[in-house]
Amino acid sequence: MRRRPNYLAGLGSLVWLVLVGFPLYVLLISTFRTRSSYSSEGPLSFPEHLTLQNYVDDFSNGFGQDFLNTVIVTVSVVAIVLLVVPPLAYAIVRARGRTISTVFRVFLLGLAIPAQAVIVPMFYVISKAGLYDQLIGIILPTAAFCLPVCTLVLTGAMRDITNELYEAMAMDGASPWRVFWQLVVPLSKGGLSSIVVFSALQAWNGFLFPLILTQSESTKVITLGLYNFQTEHGVDVPGLLSAVVLSMLPIFIVYLFARRALVQGLMGVGGK
Amino acid sequence: MSALSSVSASGRRTRTGRRSGVGVTRPGLVWAVPATVFFLLFAILPLVLVAVLSFTSWDGVDAPTFNGLDNWTKLLHDPVMTQSIWLTLVLTVAGVVVQTPVSILLGVWSAGYQRNRAVLSAIFFVPLLLSATAISVVWRAILDPNFGVPSQMQWLFGDGNLMGSQSGAIAVLTFVGMWQWTPMHALLYQGGARAIPQVLYQAAAIDGAGKFRQFLHITLPQLRNTMITSMILMLVGGLTTFDTVLILTQGGPGTDTTNSAYYMYQQAFKSFDFGSGSAIALVLVVVATLISLAVVRFSGYDKMRSTSEGL
Amino acid sequence: MKRRAFAVALGLSLATVGVTACSSGSSPAGGSNTIHVLVYGDASNKVEKQIVETFNKTSKVKVVLDTIPGADYQSKLNTIINTPQAPDIFFNWGGGSIQPYVKADLLLPLDDMIASDPGLKSNFLASVFNTAVIDGKSYGIPMRGTQPVLLFNNKKVLADAGLSVPKTWDELLNAVTVLKGKGVTPFALGGGDQWPTLMWYEYVFDRVAGPELFQKALSGDKSAWESPESKKALGMLKQLIDAGAFGSNFDSVKFTDGGSPALLAKGRAAFELMGSWAYATQQDANPDFAKNDLGYSNFPSVPGGKGDPADVVGNTNNFYSVLKKTKHPQEAAAFLKLMYSDEFVKAQLAIGNLPTTTNTEQFLSTSASPEYSKYQYDLVKAAPSFQLSWDQAYPPAATTPIHTAVQQFFSGKLDVDGFIKAMQALPAS
Repeated sequence: MRRRPNYLAGLGSLVWLVLVGFPLYVLLISTFRTRSSYSSEGPLSFPEHLTLQNYVDDFSNGFGQDFLNTVIVTVSVVAIVLLVVPPLAYAIVRARGRTISTVFRVFLLGLAIPAQAVIVPMFYVISKAGLYDQLIGIILPTAAFCLPVCTLVLTGAMRDITNELYEAMAMDGASPWRVFWQLVVPLSKGGLSSIVVFSALQAWNGFLFPLILTQSESTKVITLGLYNFQTEHGVDVPGLLSAVVLSMLPIFIVYLFARRALVQGLMGVGGK
Repeated sequence: MSALSSVSASGRRTRTGRRSGVGVTRPGLVWAVPATVFFLLFAILPLVLVAVLSFTSWDGVDAPTFNGLDNWTKLLHDPVMTQSIWLTLVLTVAGVVVQTPVSILLGVWSAGYQRNRAVLSAIFFVPLLLSATAISVVWRAILDPNFGVPSQMQWLFGDGNLMGSQSGAIAVLTFVGMWQWTPMHALLYQGGARAIPQVLYQAAAIDGAGKFRQFLHITLPQLRNTMITSMILMLVGGLTTFDTVLILTQGGPGTDTTNSAYYMYQQAFKSFDFGSGSAIALVLVVVATLISLAVVRFSGYDKMRSTSEGL
Repeated sequence: MKRRAFAVALGLSLATVGVTACSSGSSPAGGSNTIHVLVYGDASNKVEKQIVETFNKTSKVKVVLDTIPGADYQSKLNTIINTPQAPDIFFNWGGGSIQPYVKADLLLPLDDMIASDPGLKSNFLASVFNTAVIDGKSYGIPMRGTQPVLLFNNKKVLADAGLSVPKTWDELLNAVTVLKGKGVTPFALGGGDQWPTLMWYEYVFDRVAGPELFQKALSGDKSAWESPESKKALGMLKQLIDAGAFGSNFDSVKFTDGGSPALLAKGRAAFELMGSWAYATQQDANPDFAKNDLGYSNFPSVPGGKGDPADVVGNTNNFYSVLKKTKHPQEAAAFLKLMYSDEFVKAQLAIGNLPTTTNTEQFLSTSASPEYSKYQYDLVKAAPSFQLSWDQAYPPAATTPIHTAVQQFFSGKLDVDGFIKAMQALPAS
């Protein structure tokens, strides 16, 4: 059924369009102008000459390495999450007893542990373990902090699998292992794609762990690269903003082609 | 998401459905072991350690040594700490107050299936694609008093000294927080609004209620659960605001925007007083856990039986 | 059945760790035949790289250079200094910046090295070398350039306003009035970074009270902060702030991101008080301005003040310190010797740094900007006192409180008494 326009919300949406569109305009247009054009003409005017030099410069300033590191971190975090969460969620949904519900509660409590709150001991643990300034030192805590939300999402998905299906499998004498692979995994694809997107976003956008737990050029991820760029050459706004655009490019591509899965994953981000 | 505020039928089915028959094999606890061990090691152990460290003196160079309640008594008498708690509250409340109405309006608006709304929504939610770091960096550049937008819009910004006063800096942080988070909350409300049965509106229309009254008497009450979820997320998020503070204001001017999360960072990683840093962190943990318990209780997460319920 | 599932799960988790361990990029201080040298990451790294290459050509033990971007250098150093990842040799500012490490017994006194090669001490200007002497022992070898704080100006702006470089405090006040009338901000100030603001205190306190007041305060005599000289200096700063000498939005401006240098270069401000590195910053960001219109002078004198107008403040130099745990002290010594080599001096001069070795003078003409190098060299050589920046003279724990107090006094949140109290509350060295 078609509804008549809602003027009140329509007005709000117009204001929001300006609030979002305006900075995005500045963000995009600045990346195509020269540094001197930015500082003399200001960010609002349309530049006389457009240039791609800022993007080229980003890569000669090591953006490629940052990008590669971020990809490694992201892929590893997703891999860990995919390896440990589905069996856990399966156990939570299907195993019996008090222990498993206690385990679930522990993960639920983890939902609201902010990464900031444990960063000091995390730094202690990581440096004692000799993992300081290595990508693995970012990967492990980042993955650990993805677990609560991923577990919650995936158990939710797995609970939608009906008992009848389990019983049918049991008739065939299937082991939990077979049930897991032939029933549970195929039927929770939606949940699985959500946790992939969620954990990938957490890893891609993560800032605090890299900030505290790494220091070298060779282990720098994109977010830290942006931060360093801003603290060191913040006045080179076109260079900085083109790096920002490059950093969001992969997510933007996912947004274009897999909007639903991305949005599902993003909602999980809000959960943190 | 569409199942947001309605406990879905499929969920109920499992609960009331026949108990599993004899012979159904169930996974053992071992299936939960890898994730649990991993989580204990990298999330729960640090959590325990933060409590331990808060009773130590540690400069990051020597080994930590116990110093009893020293950090805690120091914090009690530290005006910056007191102020940081107050600032955390102000930033959190300001976030909730500003973001909630905007997200509701935006979410309800975008819940409509009209084509123009779908197109505009795609633009509206772009901030979601940027990391907190990127967002802060962009706004820092845009708001630069001499070379950013304020220099070209003096009628609005004056001398552009936004980060130079407490009220200005808080306003900037609140605004950037709104820019960052509103799309996510709007999506929550979009899901909530789409789940409201159309029958309710049809009935109201027959009774002669206008759009505004429908919004007030049907939409808002129906969104109650969404509001709770959204506000709790805002509370936890506001409590731990860090990236934006670090990049936009560095807790300044002076200590005027040094909230607890940033003060913890500063004490630990700038002044190398890891003991005090841990004590502040522990305060954060306790408050966050209380909120977390509230989440579990209010939303019934642990009893939840369906896919994206409550998300 | 259960056992199998467990084995699989265990296998999976081990595989995960294995995979990620392999894919992680860098490895920590690895081979035993290397010396790790950790430096502050910035434009000067060019020279450090060159010196390392020179060293590695002849040495069996190779030096590996690691850099950390500026803003986080001190905190990252502190993070690793007592871990297995600690470097063998690291960059620092001498003084308070290494004191905690000396106290924790992490640093190697260099006196034995100096005994076997006296050149490690005698080839450096004594006033600079002494910054890294703690409790009578030497802990650092100067390794970059000296960085006095200078009053930079935009010659064109001054000419347009009919002003000359101020030599006295009154001329400076006059310049403020004239420039304000012209709609130009007299002094660019990166108040957002806080340490540029501190430079104003360092000079005004020196000119009014001489270097002794701060030394007294640093050594633990807190009454120094409430002395009449201290109050007079604060009063003068207050007068300057109230006259609008720094404009009104300085707390939103930074030096580190290039904000305040741009104000000077674009003629929106007439002066900037900044370390000598600002010259290189301008050359890099605004080459035309650096070439044609960038002027510099020493801080003006204050009539009736106790401080010698030739005194300077700033970073005396940066230093290399050696950790006790290094496995290669002899090679480390050989590496440090390069810090007074002709190659080192020439390379530093070529990028605008001013080394503090005794042979620097003979190479001054090879500098990137000989006139500027000579000016600085003469200034530093003639200075009766070279005060290390306050935030470097105190141990790191005091840095944040100092910066906060300095900022709050400028923004008006602290009054004179409030500032004095804040400084008296600093952790003693």
